[in-house]
Amino acid sequence: MDLSYQEKSILGSLLAMVVVYGYYFASVLRDLGRPEFDGGSIGRLVLAVIAIIVIEIAYQIVLAIESKAEPKDERDILIECKAYRNAYFLLATGAALVIACVIVAALARDAAPTRIIVTPFLTVNLVLLAMVLAELVKFLTQLFYYRRGLR
Amino acid sequence: MTKGRIRNNIRRLRFDRSEMTQQELAEKVGVTRQTVIAIEGDKYSPSLEVAFRIARVFAAPLEEVFQYEAGDSDAGAA
Repeated sequence: MDLSYQEKSILGSLLAMVVVYGYYFASVLRDLGRPEFDGGSIGRLVLAVIAIIVIEIAYQIVLAIESKAEPKDERDILIECKAYRNAYFLLATGAALVIACVIVAALARDAAPTRIIVTPFLTVNLVLLAMVLAELVKFLTQLFYYRRGLR
Repeated sequence: MTKGRIRNNIRRLRFDRSEMTQQELAEKVGVTRQTVIAIEGDKYSPSLEVAFRIARVFAAPLEEVFQYEAGDSDAGAA
């Protein structure tokens, strides 16, 4: 399959995100009972962000050496705009769902004091999940339009 | 109700201009080779500005390079 420079760049970013955040959220799942988003949680998130940055920089350098870097033209920008539209929709939906979860949990707690289900740890990670999913949707939309074309 | 399509003769015009490569055309127009490939394959309709730049490279009128094929929704418009 003949991939353009932009497609290779997006594919690399997509794989880096899947691997790093896949690993991150797998570890979050193991700690789901943790109540606070404390120092350990922050450290894990910072590590994931640093890992993404390092992998991205290394990959983009290798890609620029291997294939001739091409500046974005109007088609690339149009595809990016469509991708951002889809990503924004997912991010806004995710944010609304997290807010709804927090409100429902607060109402349930007031009505009948039980154990708190929506902890700060869970809230932060749900917001982060929405952000990561939005970014993945952006990359997938871009790859889709590069393959199918804009008609 | 189908949308209209923009067809083009870029492949033939490149051939007529001593087999200009897609890369050469891309550089003259200021887009990537992938975009030229997409335009030639009717997978992307360029902006008016890029369409005029392509026509200028071939020293041809815009209508010789691009043609608009009306869809069903346009049938009664004229």
